[in-house]
Amino acid sequence: MIVRVLILWYGSGISRWTIIQKQTENNRLKAMIKHFFINIFRNIRHNKVFTIINLANLVIGFAVFILFSVLISHELNFDKFNTNYDNIYRVQTRQEDSYPTNFCTYSPAAFRFHLMADVPEVEKVLLMREVSGGAKGSGQFFTLPDGSQFYQLNGYWSENSIFDIFTINLKEGNKSTALTEPGTIALSETLSKKIFPEGNALGKQVIVGKRFPVTVSAVYTDFPQNSNLKPTYLVSMPTYPGLSGELAYGENWTNISFDNYVLLKKGADPKLVDAKIKNAFKDVKNFEKSSPYLHPLSKLHISPNSQPDVIIGLAILSLAAFLVLILACVNYVNLSLANSTQRATEIGIKKVIGSSKKLLATQFLAETILHTLFATVLALFVAQASFPLLNRILNKNIDFSLWNNAQLLIFISLVSLLVGILSGLYPSLVISSYNPVKVLKGKVFSNGGNSISIKKILVAAQFSISLFMLIVSFILYNHVNFILNKDLGFENKKILYTEINPRDKMPFETVKTRMLQHPEIADISFSSTIPFIGNIGGYVTWEGAAPDEKEMISRNYVNYDFIPTYNLKMAYGRNFSKEYPADNKACIINETALKVFGWSDPVGKLIYLEGRPFPVVGVVKDFHPYSVHNPIPTYIMFLNNNVISGSTLLTVRFTGDEQKARALVTRELDTIFPNDPFEFKDFSIAFYLDAAIEFWQSMKSMFIFFAVVTLLISTIGLFGLILFTVKRRTKEIGVRKVLGSSVGSVYWQLSTEVIGMLGFAILVGCPAAIYIYKTMPGAYKEPLTISEFLIAIALVAVIAFITISYHVLKVAVSNPVKALRYE
Amino acid sequence: MIHLNNIDKYYDSKFQRTFVLKAVNLEVKEGEFVSIMGPSGSGKSTLLNIIGLLDAPSAGEYSLYDKSVLDLKEKAKVDYHRNFMGFIFQAYHLIEEMTVYENIETPLIYKGVKSRDRQAMVADLLDRFNMVAKKDLFPQQLSGGQQQLVGIARAIIGKPKLLLADEPTGNLQSVQGEMIMETLQQLNNEGMTIIQVTHNEKFAEYGKRIIRLEDGIIRKDVASKIVFSI
Repeated sequence: MIVRVLILWYGSGISRWTIIQKQTENNRLKAMIKHFFINIFRNIRHNKVFTIINLANLVIGFAVFILFSVLISHELNFDKFNTNYDNIYRVQTRQEDSYPTNFCTYSPAAFRFHLMADVPEVEKVLLMREVSGGAKGSGQFFTLPDGSQFYQLNGYWSENSIFDIFTINLKEGNKSTALTEPGTIALSETLSKKIFPEGNALGKQVIVGKRFPVTVSAVYTDFPQNSNLKPTYLVSMPTYPGLSGELAYGENWTNISFDNYVLLKKGADPKLVDAKIKNAFKDVKNFEKSSPYLHPLSKLHISPNSQPDVIIGLAILSLAAFLVLILACVNYVNLSLANSTQRATEIGIKKVIGSSKKLLATQFLAETILHTLFATVLALFVAQASFPLLNRILNKNIDFSLWNNAQLLIFISLVSLLVGILSGLYPSLVISSYNPVKVLKGKVFSNGGNSISIKKILVAAQFSISLFMLIVSFILYNHVNFILNKDLGFENKKILYTEINPRDKMPFETVKTRMLQHPEIADISFSSTIPFIGNIGGYVTWEGAAPDEKEMISRNYVNYDFIPTYNLKMAYGRNFSKEYPADNKACIINETALKVFGWSDPVGKLIYLEGRPFPVVGVVKDFHPYSVHNPIPTYIMFLNNNVISGSTLLTVRFTGDEQKARALVTRELDTIFPNDPFEFKDFSIAFYLDAAIEFWQSMKSMFIFFAVVTLLISTIGLFGLILFTVKRRTKEIGVRKVLGSSVGSVYWQLSTEVIGMLGFAILVGCPAAIYIYKTMPGAYKEPLTISEFLIAIALVAVIAFITISYHVLKVAVSNPVKALRYE
Repeated sequence: MIHLNNIDKYYDSKFQRTFVLKAVNLEVKEGEFVSIMGPSGSGKSTLLNIIGLLDAPSAGEYSLYDKSVLDLKEKAKVDYHRNFMGFIFQAYHLIEEMTVYENIETPLIYKGVKSRDRQAMVADLLDRFNMVAKKDLFPQQLSGGQQQLVGIARAIIGKPKLLLADEPTGNLQSVQGEMIMETLQQLNNEGMTIIQVTHNEKFAEYGKRIIRLEDGIIRKDVASKIVFSI
């Protein structure tokens, strides 16, 4: 009985006690939350400078991070709008006999008819070809019913299956028949509006060039910004044989200039397909070492040639974006610690009147998280507002709307939370473990020995990151200038060029004679390709080669005037000449080819193309026929018959004013070819069409942007650090002044500390930057110069010393009595 | 109530041990008003901090109500601070970001008192100290004496058994100091145990018992009137 009563009493006691306990907890929590917010706002009011600095720091850090998250996610999410995204592949050609292995995005048309169509995993096949030969930057002229003409880039020959494989929205026409018949063309909405502003394009006629009428069979909504394929118009593939004259194009295994796309059945394994098609070139002469392979849609944008260049670029950018964010975090930690000394009393008192360490730490952590979240929201607006600016800096046209990109918003909120926790944890632990007895006596700093050394590490890390970013920016800046200004090995300033595809043959000498009447025209030539435009490959063997040895070489068919027009220099032998009739069966190679062939005396040696021998009459000094980014390829020139026929490129070297020369050659050519469209362009247009130039230029702009932001954030951080150090030493400086010490000695002491950290930063930042330089893609890099490093170091040092000077002067010049009055 | 037995407090440096308190024995009964006096560096504040559980002795025993309070866990210490003792400081140490009202209220929040009860209790104290009109001001807007009154209010709002005051009048002019001492005396009369550290002979007299510390050793421990008569 007694036991039972006891148990009852005891039990009820416990439950009553727990209830009270719970209520107490509740009351505490409620009041605490309210006070927490009031406290935050009052703190902001009391520490305006701190709040503004710290918030600016976080907002800048986050805004940059957000901007580049958007940018990088834009690059990584290309083509995702396609419903068949996971099952679309481009069939590309791997050429293992060139060194390094060439991953060619193009493939022969035979793939479509004799390879992919027979693979059971393949659901749909699609054959396409860029109109005008596939050289980037070459386009097509159109003539409108009213006789006017215009030039259009990015047109394709295409089969109708494009509508089944890619997600395309038709404005007019029928998806199942739009491109099935010869003589039909589908227009993008933009092009359609340009040609037929009154609408209703369907059934109307457009003339390709000046001769070939095609009927508009469909109008499609423009492909989105983030589509790798952005055709401005599509001509039906059945039109191709008639227009190009290649009637048996579907049987051709060696004309590697088509785009083959396939849609695999759901769940099909691309590796299996790869294994099945691997040996397709087995019986194709000279192509035995080539093989087709599937390249997924997801990689077409970031790595079209199966090369990591763009990915490396994106990785470097991501690293930079993260470093900026880390920089902001470090700043936050430093500034929080610096400011915490102001709040020491608050902390001490709260502890004395009954706040636990845990509670205080939680309060500070929550405060930090709230700061970062608030900063993130501000940063979102800043990022949104500054995106057009970024677009302009980077010369991009990214459609940017943060608010409906849920994935990105979630990612950013998570990062923001993480940043809040990371940058709040350490200060909150330090601050909450202040000893109240010491704090209330104003001795917080004697307690902070440990925290100061961690601070030093943080600041040293910050110096290192800043230095690293600056050096990399300088390296990139110099690299881009190097690429832009590198001697290409040929005349590229006073050059005008045009494509022309005349209906009637025309002896070149006629054109030349007319043009050269004008003293403004220094030289004129025509050829099948010119530097940076057009690329014809071919396998050759050579005198002295091993039996199975051959080389994929860049071919160009030129006339007598090509070498002088471009001012190419001969290393051996001579240019083609009319004095040697046998030259029409001869060739000229470049130095790289000479190296590969291994001849010591090249003139007269034989090169075999498709079994026919061509003696070498000369070797030109190496020049850059394509992007400066890539190594100079082996190169061979053959003599054409000096009669302009078919698609060709005309080059004019002029003297004097470009405008005048352009007007002149345009007028002359118009009288020679009244029925054929053309347009003279400055060579820089061809040069800047180079994807590598675009890549490096945007890398450069981004890094300059990063460098500026880094400097800004570092300055904020240093400001905070030195504010902290000087505050810590206010009294010391006061005492020293009373004792008669000079401002200089205080200054010197602070400086030695900063010099030490700068030294650490140099040890870390420089090797890291050199590493980036080494991983940087590109065949030609400018050697590193010591100035890149020295300027960056000097810049960081100058900022450090300006900040030191500001604070030291402020304290040192002030009245020592004031500094000593505390305590 | 308070029982200190053979308390030492020292700091070890390489070759030397420096004593701040040495073999201190002290018993304080409930309802006492003790003044601790002594020259600078005699260990007064250290003793007070040890009693207030803000500092730990190097050796000796310390019990409150016959329960040892050495080696208490953080949580238990926090509990004592919330429910058992209040502190007053020479420099007032009010939280500058908080109004008078909030400063006084804060300990109740940590104690977990309901909002309505808190309001009543704070209002009561404000009334008692004639500070109702000043409740929304911030500490900087008050005179030193008024700030210390707020400090006292904050210290006693949680109805502690023990009030520890570290030179509560050190920063005040004598008139204001007297006001503060009278307040303390009144609290003592109502039954609160008070231990104060002071330099001021006159204010020490407000205590019922005076302890004189010198070099960490209790030299005298006498009822205040006797000291007065000497």
